[in-house]
Amino acid sequence: MTLLKVEGLNKVFGQHYALSGVGLEVKPGEVHALVGENGAGKSTFIKIMTGVYTLDAGTIQWKGAKVDIPDPVASRRLGINVVHQDRHLVPSFTGYENLFLGLDYPANQARIGVNWKAMKQQAEKLRNDLGVDIDLNKTADRMFPPEKTMLEILRAMMLECQLLILDEPTASLTDQEAEKLFALIKRLTEQGTAILYVSHRMDEIFRLSDRITVFRNGQRVATVNTSETDKDGLVRLMSNAEVKKSQKRTGISATEENVLELKGLSTKDGKVKEVSLSVRKGEIVGIFGLAGAGRTELLETIYGLREPAGGSIQLAGRRVAAPTPKRSLENGVVLIPEERKRDALILGMSIRENMTLPVLKRFSGLLKLRSRAERTEVNAWMQEMNVKAAGSEQMIGQLSGGNQQKVVFAKALLSNPVLFLCDEPTQAVDVMTREEIHRLLKAQADKGCGVLFVSSDLQEVLDISDRLYVLHDSHFVAELDNDGVTSEQVLGYCYSHGKGSEHHG
Amino acid sequence: MVEARAGIPYVRLIRTYGTVAAGILIILAFSLLSPDSFATIDNAINISRQISFLVIIALGATLVMAVGEFDLSVGAVASFGGVFAAQMAVSGYPIWLTFLAPMAAAFIIGFVNGWIVTRFRVLSFITTLAMGTILGGINFRLTGGATVFENIPDGFRYLGQSEWMGIPVLSFIMLFVTLIFWYVMSHMPFGRKLYAIGGNESASRVAGVRVAFNKNMAFALCAMLAALTGILMASRLGSAHPTGGDGLFLSAYAAAFLGMTSFKEGVPNIWGTFVGAAIIGILANGLTILEVPTFMQDVITGCIVIAAVLMQKLGRGKS
Repeated sequence: MTLLKVEGLNKVFGQHYALSGVGLEVKPGEVHALVGENGAGKSTFIKIMTGVYTLDAGTIQWKGAKVDIPDPVASRRLGINVVHQDRHLVPSFTGYENLFLGLDYPANQARIGVNWKAMKQQAEKLRNDLGVDIDLNKTADRMFPPEKTMLEILRAMMLECQLLILDEPTASLTDQEAEKLFALIKRLTEQGTAILYVSHRMDEIFRLSDRITVFRNGQRVATVNTSETDKDGLVRLMSNAEVKKSQKRTGISATEENVLELKGLSTKDGKVKEVSLSVRKGEIVGIFGLAGAGRTELLETIYGLREPAGGSIQLAGRRVAAPTPKRSLENGVVLIPEERKRDALILGMSIRENMTLPVLKRFSGLLKLRSRAERTEVNAWMQEMNVKAAGSEQMIGQLSGGNQQKVVFAKALLSNPVLFLCDEPTQAVDVMTREEIHRLLKAQADKGCGVLFVSSDLQEVLDISDRLYVLHDSHFVAELDNDGVTSEQVLGYCYSHGKGSEHHG
Repeated sequence: MVEARAGIPYVRLIRTYGTVAAGILIILAFSLLSPDSFATIDNAINISRQISFLVIIALGATLVMAVGEFDLSVGAVASFGGVFAAQMAVSGYPIWLTFLAPMAAAFIIGFVNGWIVTRFRVLSFITTLAMGTILGGINFRLTGGATVFENIPDGFRYLGQSEWMGIPVLSFIMLFVTLIFWYVMSHMPFGRKLYAIGGNESASRVAGVRVAFNKNMAFALCAMLAALTGILMASRLGSAHPTGGDGLFLSAYAAAFLGMTSFKEGVPNIWGTFVGAAIIGILANGLTILEVPTFMQDVITGCIVIAAVLMQKLGRGKS
């Protein structure tokens, strides 16, 4: 008997298929692992199962009957629950109160207030049944990460839960803490609850799961029995089957001086640990890492948005003690942020006002802004960058994602950059713009700039970079000369450094 | 810019100039109802003097609103400026110093407001509310709770009470301050940065704008203008009361919110605030002439602010 059977699932965002023709079966009591690169469609799949997104095509069968999941309530009513990577607890509530979030509190005799005693009994019974050892009187903000994870799982089990989706549940846990989680998973499956286990961590997947489904580019590549495959086989399935070897840009001499050099750079929160790297003049250096590996944080630290706690940053051989965005821009360091709308654009302002914000000084006369000079310069850049808009006074929020990104790049170029820090610069832009951005970065590198390029799209990193670093759990695990590197090799580095090599402080 | 924007043109026109149009309608209505008292040159000059305090204090509030914060201490700072200046005048300090010293003190107070907000990420609501309470206490300490009015030199009253060419000096000061801050906000990098911070703080930081410093400056200038308002009031009345400026606080924000509905859609702006303050002042003047009781005036003013804000939402579509 199958618990969940999904067939022909499609989900389209704009013109992009996040999922196409996906099918999946989950049996009661099994641990079914779901793996794939970033952007393979795992999250979208989870969101459809939990009613956050609606599907565009396909059918969902639950215990043999066709069902719709229009909203999260419907999903919970069926018996599907999810524990997300990031916590969804009310910090000031106790464990008990968090358990009953969104549920009917047991009423007291007067039918007005809450029957706290019944509530506690109900929660304690569940806690005992599942053998979870946490103090539910504590408020969530005083709990440790594993306790929070357990609490969330308990909450998922408050209603009769037959399919529990765990999305990277061990992301913030140490080895011993993870053990407790695995014991709980075992108990749940013995009760007949099925687990859909999403993780990047190979050893966990092989230890826990019965079957593994691999997603790639929004499609299901395969579902295999865990006992019949191994790590290498799985990595091969996740990366592109047709092996495309990378090709190096020609004409870069390795003797060029460094634009950027990091030595043992760390941050206080441990999002960046002991990172050393160099970017030479005219070089495009790629950084690849799975989500949460600390890519954005690394760029932010170099740019001055995060405080470094150790190590050094050198720009063109000169040490920068405390970088700030302002100082970085003055030194010719520009950041193309990952979250364009949040960190790069002021949506209520015009293209002109957005573009010149970092370099207003250049356009200020004695007292006032020289608006004619400003306009001329902005128009020239709009033409240069081929920005499609009604004019420099158009509100930036009205442009397409691709054109917005071109403005972001023009804004960066206005600062006469010597070092580009690009965080997912081609995210949510059309193919044409993506090509243009690649061409632009290569042209800038040819002119002697250094480029540090972060992308979740491994193929893109391999396409554009001269050298690349593999980032895993906040530190580099490999540095590769991008000459004949395959995506399989790179993914191998990401996955071979699983739980065993980690030390949490 | 107008051509590029999607949407129904007349809806947009109402949203951008609706408040101005409403102001003109109000003037017309009063002129019809009371042609002999309201629609006279003398009354127009009178109104320009009456609104000068509100305009100046509301301009300060506008600066802080432009960076996406609130300063609830403007009323208390105005009272502070008034009693501080009056006390100094009574003590015989030179007149220019009685104006500049309280403004400088207020500038520092405002900067501290901003510093607490930006450095410790305390909500500006709470910070400035507390600062207003502190100042309320200081104002009473400075005056012993009484109105300062004895021995105020004539020189101190000059700016508040005299006229140039038949027009009150206060009206000139109001116009001058408005022009200065219009220029600052529209034509100087500082103004652009304030709007950028209000538009998107995070993106402004990435663009190298010193967010904390510029916010602090907005708070500082706001407090300085509030103190100026209080000083001018004291000069006008020839006396200063420890809570004399407190009542301006709500009207100042009413004016600034009305202002957000004109010229620049949903963005606090200098001329918008000027128009907003003018509408509130004209309403008060006209309704008084028509002998409408004060409580009704408040009700009407409140309703007009709500109506203006609702009108601006009109046709804006979702979110």
